[in-house]
Amino acid sequence: MSDTTVRVRPAGYHVVRIGARGRFLLHRRATVVAAALVVSLAAVCVAYLCVGESFVAPGEVVKVILGQPSPDELVVGTLRLPRMVVGLLVGAAFGIAGALIQTVARNPLASPDIIGISQGASALTVGAMTFGVTSYTVLPYLSVIGGVAAAALVYVFAWRGGLHATRFVLIGIGFAIALRSVTTLFLTKGDYLVAQQAQIWMTGSLNGRGWSEAAPIGWTLLILLPAVLWAARAQRTVSMDDDTATALGVRLGRVRLGLVALGVVLASVATGTAGPVDFVALLAPQIARRMTRTAQIPLFCSALLGALIVVFADLLARRLFSPTELPVGVLTAAVGAPYLIWLIIRGHGGGRGRSGGTA
Amino acid sequence: MSSTRTSDATATATSRLTVRELTLAYEDRTVVHELDLAVPDGQVTVIVGPNACGKSTTLRALGRLLKPRGGAVLLDGTELSKIPTRKIAQSIGLLPQTPVAPEAISVSDLVARGRQPHQHWWQQWSQEDERAVTDAMERTDVTALGDRSVDELSGGQRQRVWIAMALAQETDLLLLDEPTTYLDIAHQVEVLDLVRRLTAPAADGTRGRTVVTVLHDLNQAARYADHLVAMKAGRIVAEGHPNDIVTAGLVREVFGLDAVIVPCPVTGSPLVVPGAPWQATPEL
Repeated sequence: MSDTTVRVRPAGYHVVRIGARGRFLLHRRATVVAAALVVSLAAVCVAYLCVGESFVAPGEVVKVILGQPSPDELVVGTLRLPRMVVGLLVGAAFGIAGALIQTVARNPLASPDIIGISQGASALTVGAMTFGVTSYTVLPYLSVIGGVAAAALVYVFAWRGGLHATRFVLIGIGFAIALRSVTTLFLTKGDYLVAQQAQIWMTGSLNGRGWSEAAPIGWTLLILLPAVLWAARAQRTVSMDDDTATALGVRLGRVRLGLVALGVVLASVATGTAGPVDFVALLAPQIARRMTRTAQIPLFCSALLGALIVVFADLLARRLFSPTELPVGVLTAAVGAPYLIWLIIRGHGGGRGRSGGTA
Repeated sequence: MSSTRTSDATATATSRLTVRELTLAYEDRTVVHELDLAVPDGQVTVIVGPNACGKSTTLRALGRLLKPRGGAVLLDGTELSKIPTRKIAQSIGLLPQTPVAPEAISVSDLVARGRQPHQHWWQQWSQEDERAVTDAMERTDVTALGDRSVDELSGGQRQRVWIAMALAQETDLLLLDEPTTYLDIAHQVEVLDLVRRLTAPAADGTRGRTVVTVLHDLNQAARYADHLVAMKAGRIVAEGHPNDIVTAGLVREVFGLDAVIVPCPVTGSPLVVPGAPWQATPEL
């Protein structure tokens, strides 16, 4: 073919060359959106550190972050910064987890807090609380185990010679309801004070979280980073119908299991850290996708948006009814849900039809 | 095309894709019984038969979408189940009956996904990919639609885009499951003409692609097939060049229809005309 013919590239993508053989496809709009999200996130983070019981000037905040001596070291560096970092990590983990589970389920309503993962974590955690386990060094691990176990059960029950997207979601919803009643049973059985503690945990709260909570989830995200990079590419292939994907040489069963497992681990770890912060995993991927208008959920933007939602919501949660601090989970719904509804009504990008998985 | 095609080619043709005593079943219902078939290279093989005769099921097994209950599908003599699925995807392309595109995907993005089996994590786009996608879109005449969303295309355009995706995969063998469903007659002819052109040898003498397709319309099958396979109740009733096998007897045996066979005035291929005339006023 001569050079004069127009060469076709996937619309909206830019080819990035790295090294001699590396060729990566970068979605232009997604790149711009990611940059905008990073800037917004930085702004919200500075605001988060400035605002509180006492106001700290942005200049001092930057000083503390850079490790320079400052009179506000205690307030910013010791009280606000660790809590914010936990919020960032939890939000990012929920954003990625939601994106992966929605992709595999081919359903925008599938998220860890709907298909039973959060409920599994809650059931085991609250159960442990009623039986006298109240140590915050043990409970997070129990949540992780509960979430992963619930997801494994859903996966096993939904498997019938293959994973059917709709069946996966419906069985997940069934498990979520069953596990919620188990949690309620524990709550009514248990001591009043324990029930109150459990109730706060179940709403999802960053209150009292610090470096000791940030470290495990931070390490988990870092260790899973290669898997997340793999997932960002693998997501493309599972967004087609099963027959087409298989014909293109995709080992669907394995890829799906890999994506779901990654999503479940991230969601469980995030739940173990801050409790089930509702709606973040549901909203972040959908909002991110509508912003980028990509054919699949953009993983990186979804993580950024998850972090943005959680940190912004916690900022409001701390200040709105000051001095009373609300659990962040109360506000994630209040902030995210209206925005999603607005986006759906405006009907930008996807959203129309064919979202319910294959028949 | 107008000259009479002979059946000699079929007899001497080699076959990359063969089927040996293939038995296919869903749950406990056996759909295909011990089928033997050799798909002639560089030709159009069309599978026909009444509804639920197992033709689509057979095609799915040829593309490893269905695991055989017994027997095997062989690619170059090796069982498909023993070849990595990605390796198969470099030789066999398949377009299902109702493929589903990701929401709001652009035409060029969808066609580019046909390159999946040739790409790596670190090599998501090569010169070769670009050439193959450009070529596939030109052949199917969808180049102008490149930036449009697949959701907003007409049925005929969408089908051409899907075929472009399968072509971009650049496989030697291409399996198409009723590619003309949902299309009006003009688009049906357009798609089938395109399929025929795929098997034409290239200018440098290299063999064209091998196509296996399931078609509902017997007349279209007879017009476009080099090798016609007639199935009934999970078994092959007859196979060969349409000129040799399409007879009134075969149509009665396979479809249970009394028909008259006349030569097509355009191509000379057998044309099946239902024998019993329709009556405007039923006799009382």
